[in-house]
Amino acid sequence: AAGVPRALPSSGPKSLREMPHPLATSSSEEMGPALTPSPDLLLPRSIADKDLSLPNGTPVDTSSPASSSSLLNRLQLDDDLDGETRDLFVTVDDPKKHVCTMETYITYRVTTKTTRAEFDLPEYSVRRRYQDFDWLRNKLEESQPTHLIPPLPEKFVVKGVVDRFSEEFVETRRKALDKFLKRITDHPVLSFNEHFNVFLTAKDLNAYKKQGMALLSKMGESVKYVTGGYKLRNRPLEFAAVGEYLDTFSLKLGTIDRIAQRIIKEQLEYLVELREYGPVYSTWGGLEVELSEPLEGVSACIGNCCTALEELSEDMTEDFLPVLREYILYSESMKNVLKKRDQVQAEYEAKLEAVALKKEDRPKVPTDVEKCQDRVECFNADLKADMERWQNNKRQDFRQLLMGMADKNIQYYEKCLTAWESIIPLLQDKPETK
Amino acid sequence: MEDCLAKKMEITVSEAEKRTGRNAMNMQETYTAYLIETRAVESQSEGQCAPVDSLWRRYSEFELLRNYLSVTYPHIVVPPLPEKRADFVWHKLSADNMDPDFVERRRIGLENFLLRVASHPVLCQDKVFYSFLTQEGGWKEMVNETGFQLKADSRLKALNATFRVKNPDKRFTELKHYSDELQSVISHLLRVRARVADRLYGVYKVHGNYGRVFSEWSAIEKEMGDGLQSAGHHMDVYAASIDDILEEEEHYADQLKEYLFYAEALRAVCRKHELMQYDLEMAAQDLTSKKQQCEELATGTVRTFSLKGMTSKLFGQETPEQREAKIKILEEQIQEGEEQLKSKNLEGRDFVKSAWADIERFKEQKNHDLKEALISYAVMQISMCKKGIQVWTNAKECFSKM
Repeated sequence: AAGVPRALPSSGPKSLREMPHPLATSSSEEMGPALTPSPDLLLPRSIADKDLSLPNGTPVDTSSPASSSSLLNRLQLDDDLDGETRDLFVTVDDPKKHVCTMETYITYRVTTKTTRAEFDLPEYSVRRRYQDFDWLRNKLEESQPTHLIPPLPEKFVVKGVVDRFSEEFVETRRKALDKFLKRITDHPVLSFNEHFNVFLTAKDLNAYKKQGMALLSKMGESVKYVTGGYKLRNRPLEFAAVGEYLDTFSLKLGTIDRIAQRIIKEQLEYLVELREYGPVYSTWGGLEVELSEPLEGVSACIGNCCTALEELSEDMTEDFLPVLREYILYSESMKNVLKKRDQVQAEYEAKLEAVALKKEDRPKVPTDVEKCQDRVECFNADLKADMERWQNNKRQDFRQLLMGMADKNIQYYEKCLTAWESIIPLLQDKPETK
Repeated sequence: MEDCLAKKMEITVSEAEKRTGRNAMNMQETYTAYLIETRAVESQSEGQCAPVDSLWRRYSEFELLRNYLSVTYPHIVVPPLPEKRADFVWHKLSADNMDPDFVERRRIGLENFLLRVASHPVLCQDKVFYSFLTQEGGWKEMVNETGFQLKADSRLKALNATFRVKNPDKRFTELKHYSDELQSVISHLLRVRARVADRLYGVYKVHGNYGRVFSEWSAIEKEMGDGLQSAGHHMDVYAASIDDILEEEEHYADQLKEYLFYAEALRAVCRKHELMQYDLEMAAQDLTSKKQQCEELATGTVRTFSLKGMTSKLFGQETPEQREAKIKILEEQIQEGEEQLKSKNLEGRDFVKSAWADIERFKEQKNHDLKEALISYAVMQISMCKKGIQVWTNAKECFSKM
């Protein structure tokens, strides 16, 4: 069944009106026909201690397959709330270089393990290149315009400045792509998207891509990308607040990025001097008799500190900076989605005004205005849910990132400490005891 | 060692003071004066506190003392003075002689110098040194009256000897070579260390920026705010910690500098030997040539070409009386020369013996001191690492509460 997706219960080409919101208050029995619970959910589960509820107080139905938490997240810190077992695992690894006549590029292996009914097989393994991830992201943005799509690592790399095929660059990219897919996997709506399914399973993705050109969703057509702001009657407070928050947040992240880069630069300059410093002790040791061993010891010790420092700088460059930059991109995505939402609301308000001006006595509101209202309400609900999950993930991600940074520094100092402590006995050694 | 002055007397350079006065050219100048305090140790055992004597000296007086000691005891590796001008500084340190940190480090260096001299078995017994510590007025005049400046060897003479000496004691040649290399390597070390300190300062200080931005960021966060704010505080602590760390390291640099200057003192002893040896060789050469002349006159044979010989052949020989007179003068000179040579030889051997004894003493002191310096340096590094671990562990805990 590879290559031809079945009709999936995703929020794809269906009208928003028909689809009940995944986090709606309906109980499990009232789940709409569009959603089929996965086999796991029919088993009795332990619900976590906390009662989950939306910001507005309505309790969350944790029985839906779209529940946002997972228990067995291998990579993230354990901070998840409910006890649902995850049924979809995706990993990106094994980068390989391909050399063709026209171009050279890297592919990554994407492995999927799942028990979901939407997948024909329990396991898949496919090869994808960056283009394919980019395609997926665009498709998701088109087909799920009311949701926040995770960011991809930067597309264009300045040739000559960065080596696209260096181990460090490829590894950094791999981690970012892995993160990208995991975030989608975690998402209660996006993870059911048909394009995502195909991406994970299709042997020949290019064939599907060509096919898909004709199947633009209705939603995709009507909601276009927006660059400017919209004048709204009343933007709901939470969205206004988020907009402001994101502006400051991006600024602060940018500052932290610059500071981190500066630190790395200073550390590398320090390293250059250390590399000259250590060997001088060795030269001195060559002149001496009794002091020869102690001086050599100090020289070796400084050498060890150099290695430790090099490792620290590498780690910060490869692990810290990319994640920071990813969040700046994420903020940008979020702001774009907010703008789209504003646009939908503006459309609705405009239509409403137009109706009011026509002065029709009929109490019946025209259907297209109703549709707009639904759109706005659904968008708001989707976005609110995504924002919450984004805030929560952001907190976890930064907690992990900053703890990681602290850890790396601790490890650096521990390595140096070990080196210096180990030469104390050497320095104190008396010639008679030898 | 038991009788050395350091055991009998407590010596400290306890204070430094800025003074203004008039110099030799009657121009106003500013200088620093150092307070030397001394107290006899013996009385303390009786339960009474001995009175403290004190006097003020400036750096130029210390220099005068050292010059005197170098000339008077050429076979001794005389302890060096702390540097006259700040050298090997990294950017934050001032190169200004009036800078309080520099003055403070110099005070310590001068005290160290006095203690070194006071614990030297030979130097501590010197009367001039004792007066330096105890006699307030008229010390300068007293030193000059010893006439030590006249005994000083000229630079040129020493240089000449270095090039022309034929058979110096091999050990001194090696030692001179060693002292050159030591000077070179310690200079290099101090220069690079200063650059390392500079860079390390930069790394720590930039982290302070985290403190500010975390604080600003925490203002817009709800749950993450507290964790970020307190972590930022730790980043500030981290950035501030480098000042003390590097100040301590300056003491290590000062210990290295002392031995950099000690290398110069070592070389001076070697040069003295070369000079004495050259002198000896010249005297021996002179004696040999006089003996030869004498022999030639006595036997009438000319073994070596000499203008006098030629002219006497051409213009007639001397009378036997004239020849006798000449021989007599030469014989007197030869006898004088032989006595001089004997005493020079003795002097030379004595010098080598006593110099080498002091050199051995110096080597042991150097090995001991430098080992201690390296240990204290390692301890400083360990302390710095532990502080780093502490700060980052604290920060990590704050992050974990985000």
